[in-house]
Amino acid sequence: MAIRETTVTVPASVSDRVRFLRQAVSERLPSASDTTVGYLFLLPAIVLFAVFLAFPIVYTLYLSFFRFQGVGGETLLWIDTQFLSYRLVSIADLQFVGLQNYTAMFSDTLFHQALFNTVFILVVQVPLMVALALLFAVALDASFVRFRGFFRTALALPVSANLVAYSTVFLLMMQDAGLVNYLLTSVGLGPIPWLTSEFWSRMTIVGAVTWRWTGYNMIILLAGLQNIPQQLYEAAEIDGANRIEKFRYVTVPQLRPVLLFVFVTSTIGTFKLFSEPVIINGGGAPLESTITIVQYIYQTAFIDFRLGYASALTYVLIGVVSVLSMIQLRVGGEDGA
Amino acid sequence: MRESTRREGAWQFLTYTFILLGTVVTLVPLYWIFVASTLPESEFLSSTDPRLLPGDAFLSNFQSLQARENVQFVGSIGQMQEYIQLGPVYFAYDFWHLWNPGAIENSVFIAVVYTLLSLLLCSMAGFAFAKYEFRFKKPIFYAILATLILPIQLLVIPLFLLMSQLDMTNTYWAIILPWAANPLGIFLMRQNMKSIPDALLESARMDGATEFQLYYKIALPTMKSSLAALAIILFLFQWNLFLFPLVILEQSKYTIPVAINQLVGAQRVYYDQIMVAATLSVVPIFVLFLFLQKQFVSGILAGSVKE
Repeated sequence: MAIRETTVTVPASVSDRVRFLRQAVSERLPSASDTTVGYLFLLPAIVLFAVFLAFPIVYTLYLSFFRFQGVGGETLLWIDTQFLSYRLVSIADLQFVGLQNYTAMFSDTLFHQALFNTVFILVVQVPLMVALALLFAVALDASFVRFRGFFRTALALPVSANLVAYSTVFLLMMQDAGLVNYLLTSVGLGPIPWLTSEFWSRMTIVGAVTWRWTGYNMIILLAGLQNIPQQLYEAAEIDGANRIEKFRYVTVPQLRPVLLFVFVTSTIGTFKLFSEPVIINGGGAPLESTITIVQYIYQTAFIDFRLGYASALTYVLIGVVSVLSMIQLRVGGEDGA
Repeated sequence: MRESTRREGAWQFLTYTFILLGTVVTLVPLYWIFVASTLPESEFLSSTDPRLLPGDAFLSNFQSLQARENVQFVGSIGQMQEYIQLGPVYFAYDFWHLWNPGAIENSVFIAVVYTLLSLLLCSMAGFAFAKYEFRFKKPIFYAILATLILPIQLLVIPLFLLMSQLDMTNTYWAIILPWAANPLGIFLMRQNMKSIPDALLESARMDGATEFQLYYKIALPTMKSSLAALAIILFLFQWNLFLFPLVILEQSKYTIPVAINQLVGAQRVYYDQIMVAATLSVVPIFVLFLFLQKQFVSGILAGSVKE
């Protein structure tokens, strides 16, 4: 008894406690044989993905069958911010309208205009940009070209320019009395109404988008070029192929998967157009000739408050983009690749 | 022979002309941003004789940008002068009261936090997809991949509603969380993590490493260059986000793109201020881009060329 009293229980030191805790934790941690390990690593990403990406996608589909009942009462709280003079608080008043939102699109001329503008820009811009990117890539790939690193960086630099900043600069340069017209006039070409004619305002968008993304696509194509086996060119040379034939029969077929990737991402990119027309053309001027689909959806949702209709438009756009991507994959994948 | 060398020379000349022309066209707008930001408005907007060399009006343009009431562009950093006069001790004491971020600080904060968080989430998810077997692995992966073709702007409506329900409008988190589990990032990390040899992980397991230690002591260090590439892509993505911040943020939290857009939206457009703002938004990214150019290139490539 007396002996027991003398043995003083020494409190565990902090480091001992930490060591013990660590051991306990690591024993409880799942081992490789556990199938839950994969899920555990995935969990944080999946939670965010489900809440902020998957759920909104499904929720948009749900909303597209409803009409949002008016503005006022308890539903909305209006707060005056600089750009948007509202803030939504709840969406209690939803009225089921079935497919009405989808059928309404057939008679919506502004939507048709937006679709036309987007397709117009797509048809002109994507081939132009891919062709330019391919030419730059081939040119930079030529064995005699020096300072490749410099040219590559310089051409790719616009990718890093802020969307809004570069759009604003284009707005400035393309004005009637802007830098571009100054240069055109000084070399003897007349001034072009870049922002006031319907045709040229679309071309301004085409130019701006091409300026920004050509270098990016060039880098991707350049990498594709470097993966083409050199023997193919040598074989073509033995067969007496000239430069253009080599390009036509070796380079292009070999690059097909990469070209396909560039086409698909550029198509998706064009459908996403928003900042450029909003800033350069003040949101569709002149005469709605540059209004794009995403911009139209934005207006419908956040200025007119037709959230249901905007959701339906969103789903139509998702459909169009998926179908177009699939067509491109089909066409590009059919022969070879 | 002579004919062919002459032709070769012409070919080289053509190629160089093409490349040079492209480079000039590419660089002129960028150069012009910098030039314009150093000139008084009247000089770079002149249609008859625009100046093409830098001037010395950058500071006064910057000051007029700072003096604007509706958009705070450079917050605490811009007012550092006053704080210094107040004394460093006072500054340290009353930091939270004085901390009044402008668009630049907002953008930097959001982009940095977003990039770090997203790198962590994407690399963990990529590690799981590349190195573990579990049920529904394929369907989950393809579901994530499928969202890559979705224009992110289209999620603005439901995200806006969701954020209002969660009472998260006008918070940094509203901009940071939605794309933190970035599908492209998860895809890139999965592709690259596949190259880590299983034997390496196995031998570490024999030595008693936990599964999490395998991730942060083996996978992360070997993935350094792909992580750097992904970091640039994520940073640029967040730095350039426009539509969603425009919808969800209020003045005090404006990011650079939204703030610049405010300068355009006013009744009179202050081009000199816009140019300064544009310069401020572009320079940090250029520096980042020039330093990490190689990784950026290989990062784009990893996502595009690999099957």
